[in-house]
Amino acid sequence: MRAIRVRGTFLGGIVGILALALAAASPAGADETCNSPYMGNLIKGQEDYLYVWALGVKSMGDGADKLVTIDVNPASSRYGKVIHKVSVRGRGEAHHMGFTDDRRFLWAGGLDNSRISIFDVGTDPARPKLVQTIADMPAKTGYVGPHTFYAMPGRMLVQGLSNAKDGGGVTGMALYSNKGELIATYPMPATGGGDGYGYDIAINPQKNALLTSSFTGRKNYMRNLGELVKDAEAMKRFGNTMAVWDLKAMKPKKVLSVPGAPLEIRWSLKDGDTWAITATALTSKLWLIKPDASGEWQAKEVAVIDDPTKIPLPVDISINKDGTGLWVNTFMDGKTRYFDLSNPEQPRQTYERVTGKQVNMISQSWDGTRVYIASSLLANWDKAGADDEQFVRGFRWDGKELKPAFEVDFYKEKLGRAHHMKLGSKALKSAYGLERTATLR
Amino acid sequence: MTVLATVAALATAAGTGPGAAHELDDRLPAAVTMNFVPPPPGSYALHAIMRAPDGPVLDHDGRRLPLSRFTSGKITLLGFIYTSCADPRGCPLTSQVFYTVRHRVAEDPELRERVRLVSLSFDPARDTPVAMRHYAASVPRNGVEWAFLTTELPRTLVPLLDGFGQDVRVELDARGRPAGPLAHVLKVFLIDERAVVREIYTTSYLFTEVILNDIKTLRLEGKTARRAAP
Repeated sequence: MRAIRVRGTFLGGIVGILALALAAASPAGADETCNSPYMGNLIKGQEDYLYVWALGVKSMGDGADKLVTIDVNPASSRYGKVIHKVSVRGRGEAHHMGFTDDRRFLWAGGLDNSRISIFDVGTDPARPKLVQTIADMPAKTGYVGPHTFYAMPGRMLVQGLSNAKDGGGVTGMALYSNKGELIATYPMPATGGGDGYGYDIAINPQKNALLTSSFTGRKNYMRNLGELVKDAEAMKRFGNTMAVWDLKAMKPKKVLSVPGAPLEIRWSLKDGDTWAITATALTSKLWLIKPDASGEWQAKEVAVIDDPTKIPLPVDISINKDGTGLWVNTFMDGKTRYFDLSNPEQPRQTYERVTGKQVNMISQSWDGTRVYIASSLLANWDKAGADDEQFVRGFRWDGKELKPAFEVDFYKEKLGRAHHMKLGSKALKSAYGLERTATLR
Repeated sequence: MTVLATVAALATAAGTGPGAAHELDDRLPAAVTMNFVPPPPGSYALHAIMRAPDGPVLDHDGRRLPLSRFTSGKITLLGFIYTSCADPRGCPLTSQVFYTVRHRVAEDPELRERVRLVSLSFDPARDTPVAMRHYAASVPRNGVEWAFLTTELPRTLVPLLDGFGQDVRVELDARGRPAGPLAHVLKVFLIDERAVVREIYTTSYLFTEVILNDIKTLRLEGKTARRAAP
């Protein structure tokens, strides 16, 4: 077994395995095929911009978390270049983002400070502007660590990772209006086999089904990884469940046993399909969630991601538009893997490539020909030294090979750690306010 | 697409006119299949999402009235339309669902006098009161109110769009001039008797049975509140 240096600490033996396993944990949902079904205005052609939510690094640039805009249209003279950045106040463990249903606003969360930054990306998609900050989520909801931002009609459903009382994994979801006003809260199921933990959200409106997954609390995800893996009790506090909710009633219907921190959830977008897939970070498996012949929701292990004893640590996943293929990034070995999902009951890995020394997020264009990869997992869990590459890399995918297209070095550009990515288009300029009034005239 | 053609499309299912670029999303067919049994009325909560905005509108006789006249006092289903819209997943789909809901409400004496539908144009330049009157003329009377409204100017419309959170984009030609149809995310707003938005439906969730159950849920809520009143 190799020893892995994590934030300056050499870990070996079983501790090394645990460290590797833990390092798996906090990816994110991100890309054109993984947006909320309530979101209109999907970009089916060439995207113009890549929005990157980056973690600030002390003494690097202004040191603050920031939203970075990269020009990703190959026809542009600025292709592959940073064209805009907007900083928020301080460093709060920038993590995930989500568009509102009309794609005019992008909500972005901080796992540490629990602040939600709302950017206007509709008025000028090339130059997002910070227009609102929600700073009272812990006080108003009791939840901390806003993770997934999932558009619902006129609303944003926000999944917390932890709670303000003890920093553990018991948490819930908060529903906000698009104007940023709190509407309701929904605790994660803690009975009937539920552990009360939360991580990702995925909705299938036609089945009236909402799926949630589970991770760990703030005390774990903000802790130095080297210390955490030595704490046997803390190591027990990771989620092992998913929940199926009655979406309309927003009530949990069934808790599914999915051991090993099930993270991102992706529904197949193919017409008629009623299944979703997830990857478990700590056990390195793919799990299928679907109704059985009697209509009862079940979770089933369907594939192993490499050799789990090697701890590849699957983090983000990205399903293609017709549910026939799945990208899986494995953080520790820096590999981007493609699984054939033609038979979702038996996914098969058909391709892999090392795309970085550490890789976390992966996003793809609607047609699947463009793939974007970002490096950072969590500030205290990223690798150290020369392995701490921080980048966004663009690739072309022809169905056989990932070919590098561009790279932005986030450390060289003094931008910090590159985390979640969302796509933008100049065609989505909403001509709002006075400008819209003018065009309507 | 002409107004008359649009009216014809209203009377049919989802409309079959030339496909206008309504939004960039073509994932969903015109009619979304509801593959579940919705929870029964009153078994779930409809939270207060926001207060419905108010401002001047024009009815189809050209009378200037506050929108609140059409968003309070009854349970209201409100959707934005424009009469030249041809996208089967857009305004025609809204109108199709409105037709069905209105028909079902008319059959229910408990709801008939307590529910209204409102179609508000976001194209004041073309959708004049006269145009809206023509549009409304195709709707048979059945005892359930259906108001067809427009606004005088964009500057009176925009605050209502902002208040509801309804987007709209104008397609531009190669020279950046407005051209082609309006584009927007389909949204239908369920508003209670006190002018508070309680549910919002988009293409992925515009199910007649769900809407009817939501209307009945608000009705049950109103009856409970009245019983509890001193």
